[in-house]
Amino acid sequence: MRFLREVYVVFWKEMLVWVNNPMLPVVRALVFPMMWIVIFGSAFGGEVNHIPVAVVSEDTGELALSYLSMLSTGRTLELRYTSPTEAERLLKTRGVYGVLYIPPGFTDELRSGGRVRVSLSTDESTPQIAEAMSAHILRVSRTFSAALGTGDAVEVVRNPVYGRGVKYLDYLAPGVVMMTILFSSIFSGGLNLILDREFGTLKMLMVSPVSRDAIILGKIFAGVAQSIASGAVALLVAMLMGVHLKSGAAGFGLVILLMFISGFGFIGMSTAFATRITQLEQLMVVMQVIIMPMWFLSGGLYPLESMPDWMRPLAIVNPMTYATDAAREIMIRGIIWQTLAVDFAVISAFAVTMFLIGSYSFKKTLGGVK
Amino acid sequence: MIIEVEKLRKEFNGIVAVDGISFGVERGEIFGFLGPNGAGKTTTINILTTLLLPTSGTARIAGYDLLRQPAEVRRRIGLVPQEVVLEGDLTARENLVFHGMLYGLSRSQVERRIPELLELVELAERADSKVKTFSGGMKRRLELVKVLIHDPEVIFLDEPTVGLDPQTRRRIWEYIRLLNTEREVTVFLTTHYMEEAEQLCDRVCIIDHGRILDMGHPEELKRRLGERDIVEVELSEPCGGFLSRLESMGYRIKSVRGCRASIVAGRREKALAELFRLAGELGVSITSISVRAPTLEDVFIHYTGRGIRDEAGGDSRMRQIARRLKH
Repeated sequence: MRFLREVYVVFWKEMLVWVNNPMLPVVRALVFPMMWIVIFGSAFGGEVNHIPVAVVSEDTGELALSYLSMLSTGRTLELRYTSPTEAERLLKTRGVYGVLYIPPGFTDELRSGGRVRVSLSTDESTPQIAEAMSAHILRVSRTFSAALGTGDAVEVVRNPVYGRGVKYLDYLAPGVVMMTILFSSIFSGGLNLILDREFGTLKMLMVSPVSRDAIILGKIFAGVAQSIASGAVALLVAMLMGVHLKSGAAGFGLVILLMFISGFGFIGMSTAFATRITQLEQLMVVMQVIIMPMWFLSGGLYPLESMPDWMRPLAIVNPMTYATDAAREIMIRGIIWQTLAVDFAVISAFAVTMFLIGSYSFKKTLGGVK
Repeated sequence: MIIEVEKLRKEFNGIVAVDGISFGVERGEIFGFLGPNGAGKTTTINILTTLLLPTSGTARIAGYDLLRQPAEVRRRIGLVPQEVVLEGDLTARENLVFHGMLYGLSRSQVERRIPELLELVELAERADSKVKTFSGGMKRRLELVKVLIHDPEVIFLDEPTVGLDPQTRRRIWEYIRLLNTEREVTVFLTTHYMEEAEQLCDRVCIIDHGRILDMGHPEELKRRLGERDIVEVELSEPCGGFLSRLESMGYRIKSVRGCRASIVAGRREKALAELFRLAGELGVSITSISVRAPTLEDVFIHYTGRGIRDEAGGDSRMRQIARRLKH
């Protein structure tokens, strides 16, 4: 009896604390699991669709038109009709994932009962997309041929231009490397700051004549350095496991630069959070509600194209998306500045903004005589 | 005066922690702030070490204004806060080097000072051990010399012996005295231990609810209470009548535990005679009796009407942390 009462007392106190702190239980019990179900349920299992594909058609005959209209049925592909040079440029700058080439005499050849070859140049740096695109085109070609009476009248020749032989591991690795930067920034930045404050180590710096700005910068630089160290280790491990680094030493250096810039952004962000946080539990909430989704919605695990439409804007405003994308570009496709420029611009803007916000709010919480 | 405090006041969200105090500390003194938890001791230290902005008032330390020349002040002071702020994963030497470098000393300058400082607190042979392997007392000792590395003129010690056992506490006192005499450093300390203030301080300032109640040499403070010796007496049961008669004769009874009582005796000769006469008259026997001079505790009770440890402590520290985090 007494034992039960004691259990009850302990239970009651825990529940009281739980209920009195509405932020934490709601997030823990409700928001977080729902978020996982939604993200994992719809982003990862979903079909890849709206894949942009350039079409270079040298034939304007009736059969070519009906073949192309069959291809564009459904949501899988978005066809863009262009010239060969434009198609090539689009493929290089990731405007499209494939270029479909319809040879001259497509209609005539098929009319006379012959066979034709269409060629599909692909960007396979995102293997899931390349697979979905090729599978769709093959299936349509087979159906189209069957309608003409011959099973294999239209033959598709697949020709990987970028990311030849890329496996899921190659696709995943850049995202994981950037994830390491993101997560370690939280620990080196935010957590560290909270612990420093809790244990008074910050006081030691505050009573010294070291300038307040130096304290802030020193802490942020240390955080960035620690993040880069763990990111570099992740990159080396990935390479040991056989992951591509197409652009060699220059690529390696560029990935490190990318880690440096995004490290500043993430450290700034976690510092800004930490200055508002008084308990470690709250940091866990930030972790679960902001940091984890940043990772899951970055296209690091699965291409953005497989997300439902309503979820894509979240990925577009997510700075992590650009960091992951840039890392993947460099590692799989090589250094192509036309596409990297956007990624780097977004990440740099994010880094500058977060660095300023983080150091400003840090400075404000330091208090004391300036 | 190495510390001159003028009408210093600090409010936290309308709650007054320090209520317009003014005082001065002489160069070379060991000056003690004595008061219960929540009296405003740590707040005062935090202001004097530039960690907190006062709501109003100011102070000069070593001739520099706290608010206008904080960098000059910081260069000349050292703080040993209540919590241990050593890096446990670094060695004693590394902690000292880091600390010295914060104050603009070169690595070699610091290295030169280390042996002497560690010798002072008998930690020389542990110089290269990680601090996390140290006992609480060793950490305190290291903290004490850590703040001396940049030759400060004043060091602030916030509850320097809190949480230490009595032997260690006595050793820390010796070290503090040693720093004071050998390094000629002025010491400002806070404590809620009467004994500590009595043993260590040249001057004591009694503080409660953010106000200064009295200030002076411990002996002087006690003398100011007048010739009020305390008689500790133990009587045979029943003793209720005896004590109430004593009170009606004008004696103040400080505390009663069963039939043990502390009686404020005024002049001891007269009081003792009266006590024995009364005991004979009422047929109560005195099983033990002793007379002692007043202690700082008595001084404190005289001013506040309660003992220094009556107030629940501990929680005010948490409140302080919470407050600091909020701002």
